[in-house]
Amino acid sequence: MTVSIHPLKKYTRSHITRTTTCPGCGIGIVSQAILRAIDELEFNMDDFVFVSGIGCSAWIPSPLYNTDTLHTTHGRPIAFATGVKLGLPNKNVMVISGDGDLAAIGGNHLIHAARRNINLTVILLNNGIYGMTGGQTAPTTPRGLTTITSPYGTMEHNFDITPMVVTAGASYAARWTTYHPRQMTRSIKKAIQKKGFALIEAMSQCPVQYGRVSKLGKAVDMLKDFKVNSVKINKARNMEPEALLGKIVIGEFVDIEKAELSEECMNLRRKMMEAM
Amino acid sequence: MPKITIFRQACKGVDDCGICTFICPKQLFQASEEMNDAGYLPPEYKGERECTGCQNCMIYCPDFAIVVEKDIGDEAPDKGDENEQE
Ligand SMILES: Cc1ncc(C[n+]2csc(CCOP(=O)(O)OP(=O)(O)O)c2C)c(N)n1
Ligand code: SF4
Ligand code: SF4
Ligand code: SF4
Ligand SMILES: [Mg+2]
Repeated sequence: MTVSIHPLKKYTRSHITRTTTCPGCGIGIVSQAILRAIDELEFNMDDFVFVSGIGCSAWIPSPLYNTDTLHTTHGRPIAFATGVKLGLPNKNVMVISGDGDLAAIGGNHLIHAARRNINLTVILLNNGIYGMTGGQTAPTTPRGLTTITSPYGTMEHNFDITPMVVTAGASYAARWTTYHPRQMTRSIKKAIQKKGFALIEAMSQCPVQYGRVSKLGKAVDMLKDFKVNSVKINKARNMEPEALLGKIVIGEFVDIEKAELSEECMNLRRKMMEAM
Repeated sequence: MPKITIFRQACKGVDDCGICTFICPKQLFQASEEMNDAGYLPPEYKGERECTGCQNCMIYCPDFAIVVEKDIGDEAPDKGDENEQE
């Protein structure tokens, strides 16, 4: 009998036999969706540099992915990735990190990388919470949710990340949930191939710190919630704001071509060399 | 018939995860009786004939613990115990 091996196992470090996440965590679904995109594009892992920050989601590339990974300080992976891309413009540079890391402490880097339209692929796992540190309210926590730091429900309005990145100037932006891993893989493939700033906002369940305290339930309950509360962007555009309360708008928000920063830098370098 | 392999040691248990039991359109996974080394109860595959080969179980498993292989003739799907990775 032939031995069965997971088709994505060839992209992961052989000594890592278990993921770092809690049972049922959505991070693993996104982790696979990324590797499947790389596999379907027939890229080599050595064509990539992965950059992550701090948080549960940031543990996707290191220790799991078998290639060059840069595990940076909290909130700063996009700043590090910008340097990597300008220094090694031929590499695909992918940032993988959480909502707290990329949209709270690191929010300004996200906005300005999109504005500069630098050719990065950013996979932002949005579980609506600071998972790793114990489930504190984040800027992405849905309004009214009970968390460990908001026992009476959050009073703040939450960040709507993907539209914000579109407004800031990204070339590509899409949002999917872990109930939509196939669509997510398709968008990640586009994002990798896009010349420009590309964001995938992956709504992901954190059953331990979010599901348990909010009483939303376990992993399966949270996936069911994604299933019933997701609205495709084309439909959402014709809906009233009140009807969209509590809904997750999914799909491709933008897909355009425009001048990209690392290429502009290379062009300038070439011009200066010729002038010398 | 598609071949399903469950890597029991990689699984984090149907009690708290159980995504495979929810996502299989034919409901071919159920809790098994025996714990793995980490103390989790992996699923048991009861499918065989009904499996459509849709790959949902493989794509949604957060722990890379299920493999679906298509068109392997009539070989009976195993439970993965002999095929543990690493
Ligand atoms: C400068 C700094 N501030 C705070 C922390 C504590 N801290 C570690 S992870 C984290 C939040 C991570 O949230 P998120 O990015 O959403 O990741 P998740 O665990 O939810 O995937 C915080 C506040 C830190 N490590 N460094
Ligand atoms: S705390 Fe939440 S986000 Fe972190 S690994 Fe556990 S379930 Fe996943
Ligand atoms: S391939 Fe599809 S039908 Fe077959 S066991 Fe997996 S989820 Fe069920
Ligand atoms: S989805 Fe994977 S980890 Fe979760 S119970 Fe099923 S086999 Fe185990
Ligand atoms: Mg988070």
